Amino acid sequence: MALSREIYGALEAIVGERNISEDLGVLETYRCAAAQSSAHYGPYDHKTPRPQAVLLPGSSAEVQWIVRICNKNDIKFKASTTFWSSMGYIGDDYAIQLDMRRMRSIEIDDRNMFAIVEPYAIGAVVQAEAMKVGLTMNMPGVGCSSSPLASSAGWVGFGPTSISMGCASENMLGSEWVLASGELVRTGSLGAGSGWFCGEGPGPSTRGVLRGFQGSTGSLGVCTRIAIRLHPWPGPTYIPSRGTVPAYKADLPDNFKCYTLCFKNWDDYAKGVALIHENDILFLGHRQFNMFGRDLKTAMIKIITDPDGQLADIPALVADPELKKINEDMKIDIQVVIAGTTKRDTEYKDKALDRILELSGGWKSAFMLDKEMVDYVLMYLIRMGHKNLNYVYCGGYEGNFGLSSNLFVSARVMEEASALKRKWETETKYIAATGGDSDMGSICVIGGGGPTGWEFFTHFDAYDKPSIKGTADFFNDTQRWMNEKGLGVDMGHWNQDVRHEDGHGYTQEEHDAMFAKLPQPLVTAYQYKVRDILNPKHLCGSYYRTLTPSKVGL
Amino acid sequence: MERCSNCLGCKWIPFDKIKSQRFGENCPSISYYNFNTYAVRGRFQLGLALLTKDAELSETVTKAIHSCTTCGACDVACKVTRYNLEPHEYNLALKAHAVKEGKLRPKQKEIMESLAKEKTMIAGKSRPSRTAWAEGLGLVDLTKGKADVMFFAGCKASYDEKLQKVARASVKVLRGAGVKVGFLAQSEMCCAVRAEQMGFAEEFEKNARANIKLFAEAGVKTIVTPCSDCYQAFKRRYAALGLQVQVYHVVEYIAKLIEEGALKLTTRVPITVTYHDPCHLGRLGEPFVPWKGGEKKILNQVHLWDPHRPRYNGSKGVYDAPRKVLQSIPGLTLVEMERIREYSWCCGAGGGCSETDTEMSRWTASERVTEANATGAEAIATACPWCEANFRGAADENGKTIEVVDVVELVERAL
Repeated sequence: MALSREIYGALEAIVGERNISEDLGVLETYRCAAAQSSAHYGPYDHKTPRPQAVLLPGSSAEVQWIVRICNKNDIKFKASTTFWSSMGYIGDDYAIQLDMRRMRSIEIDDRNMFAIVEPYAIGAVVQAEAMKVGLTMNMPGVGCSSSPLASSAGWVGFGPTSISMGCASENMLGSEWVLASGELVRTGSLGAGSGWFCGEGPGPSTRGVLRGFQGSTGSLGVCTRIAIRLHPWPGPTYIPSRGTVPAYKADLPDNFKCYTLCFKNWDDYAKGVALIHENDILFLGHRQFNMFGRDLKTAMIKIITDPDGQLADIPALVADPELKKINEDMKIDIQVVIAGTTKRDTEYKDKALDRILELSGGWKSAFMLDKEMVDYVLMYLIRMGHKNLNYVYCGGYEGNFGLSSNLFVSARVMEEASALKRKWETETKYIAATGGDSDMGSICVIGGGGPTGWEFFTHFDAYDKPSIKGTADFFNDTQRWMNEKGLGVDMGHWNQDVRHEDGHGYTQEEHDAMFAKLPQPLVTAYQYKVRDILNPKHLCGSYYRTLTPSKVGL
Repeated sequence: MERCSNCLGCKWIPFDKIKSQRFGENCPSISYYNFNTYAVRGRFQLGLALLTKDAELSETVTKAIHSCTTCGACDVACKVTRYNLEPHEYNLALKAHAVKEGKLRPKQKEIMESLAKEKTMIAGKSRPSRTAWAEGLGLVDLTKGKADVMFFAGCKASYDEKLQKVARASVKVLRGAGVKVGFLAQSEMCCAVRAEQMGFAEEFEKNARANIKLFAEAGVKTIVTPCSDCYQAFKRRYAALGLQVQVYHVVEYIAKLIEEGALKLTTRVPITVTYHDPCHLGRLGEPFVPWKGGEKKILNQVHLWDPHRPRYNGSKGVYDAPRKVLQSIPGLTLVEMERIREYSWCCGAGGGCSETDTEMSRWTASERVTEANATGAEAIATACPWCEANFRGAADENGKTIEVVDVVELVERAL
């Protein structure tokens, strides 16, 4: 059903003719190939539904007026900023898409150490503006092309710097939400007229309700402004760089140290990382380059640091005996950065790290100690501007296993998980054969330490039907294995319960049938009540998991 | 098209290089129009939709396709992380598709008629007046005589009365260093690369082949041009069609003359300038490298070009020569803008947009003037008449203009 002329005219009156379109060609550019970011959404020829219109609001007030019209006329809507993930796209036919790119302001309050950001202020620019005043932000693993507002209000939001800065739920302060009714809600200290400094009271302590740990994926209205906590940045006012595209290198002072730590087995790794957690010495920690796969790791590092590098170089580099030795040396590895605030602080942290390696039997990779490499990795990990290398092999990838567990639990199953992936790489042709272990992720998902934030990068061709189907089968096998181990939901299945294969969302009845059978039904029943108050007409898609309370006797 | 993963990279300069929000974006088209359709990731989706007939070449879509300035900024940004996508070539192909389907923008027809009849893409100009800029210079007519280099002024510097000084200054500087300069006189024809940028691929190839033949007949061994579009045409696009001559932009040639000691700059020019990298001299000015091959999969699902394919990611563009020339001028201070070299912001003239999408084109130029004025420079220097023309009269966000000069003009002042 197309929007009536009256409704379209009313929407156009809000944003202006220039900021609304219902041209089919424009609408098609707001659809997401369902298999692109998550294999289980396939098959390849399915896209998310085509919106009835796309609007570019320019202010919270405009969003309020748009949402009121949607609410009155039962039009579903979804707001998105970067349109990277399929969770930002609509899941219904009678729906409109809000593209938030005109709302991009950044206000830095350096004295109170926070930034008030709108949806399209991406991480790269918030970080750049914060550095000008000696501050920086927690950059989620999704990279600096993502929106800190979306990561904070909508998703988990942990990354390399979580060890020193915490994850998104720890960094989100006051916020401004347009609920599905059109009402503007100010949360935390902002709601009490006390400024943006706190995510909880004074004022409505609704951070847990509106985002919880995992985030509400844009399903409870539109978050239009938030404040995020900023952290001290012991570096220059911008990151000076040198080098030729794409291998830009950071020219940072020597209070920045960057190492690749290696261990002979996962027990040693767990011991070393636990000591790192305890000693509070890192600026960031991430298992980064293993995402290319254990067998291809050094070959890909060579390629991405060479302006003339090509994927066609892989066979020769993989066969290089010297690189093979380095691969073996870096088999169980992690990249870490120390950022000392004083000379003494840097020296202390460096010494403490050496002692931790001594105690855990670890070592620093000599290959990664080369000055050019160090400066490349510093740029890569501090900036997180190379996220799209996730797709480097074939244009499609999905994380699986998702071992966000206690460090000692995750580490001890790593080789078994790797062997399972390796089996699928060698016995089938559906996923890229990169050496089994392609685990990537942060040293922890919450500030100071704690659970690992790991996923195995599984590369597949999003436009090759057998590859998608085979990847989905592999993920099912992963889930079977995780069930056997009591490890919870495989990451590749995290969103399986929110969108059909054809890109449309689930109905409440379908969700009821699913969630009544799953563990912890009281949680999804509680979320139903939250949604019932904030978004009673269920206008923002089915990513928010809800169970009708009566199904569990409430 | 299918390999794009919606990462957003094509809308920004390489993230490692962003110094501020104000000057972080790279694509004039999406920055001005805002809808996804105006960035290459949207254009990839649009292309797929056109193939499946889910969309058609409506007026809005036609406008979106032709609003691409073909500046190649998306190509550089994409290739920071991707190895099996070719955004720039795709943008050209999408424009060519629209043209093939008869979907044009106002003025394109007039420009192409001018190319056909008058051998220039400056509509309203006649072929006989092409050489007016060279009157009195006594240049060697290469259809009759020989010279060290063939100077190819290009349409803009030939016809635009305010830019003819660039062509004249170039000749003066070259001659001052003892270089014998010739040109094709009345035989000279437009390089036609802007036809390709506008989607007229067949017309480009036809004109290119005619020029290649003409150059061969005149025995041309070395071409020197002050126009970045012409430079890219000869260095990269004509080379792909078989042109085998040495091609220099005039700033490259001047840098060479300075290095060899043949040209000395002795007069002080006390001015602070910032340099604007023209897209077709910088990131799109990389030399052509022959390649024959195809795509294949290894390790089950890893897509690669086989054999090793030239990368064309902007790393081998001409960036250092103009800077070296400027820094050789006594008294001149060079200050840099935030977006430079391979991640430079476009002037807005490319892709025919200065004629076919004038509002966006002017806005794009004013954005650059804002960036230039933020450096405190007294002038913005460039190495392309199209850029110079687009910056001329453009005011920044505060209404302030800036002096616009060609690098060659500054060299002339320093002789």
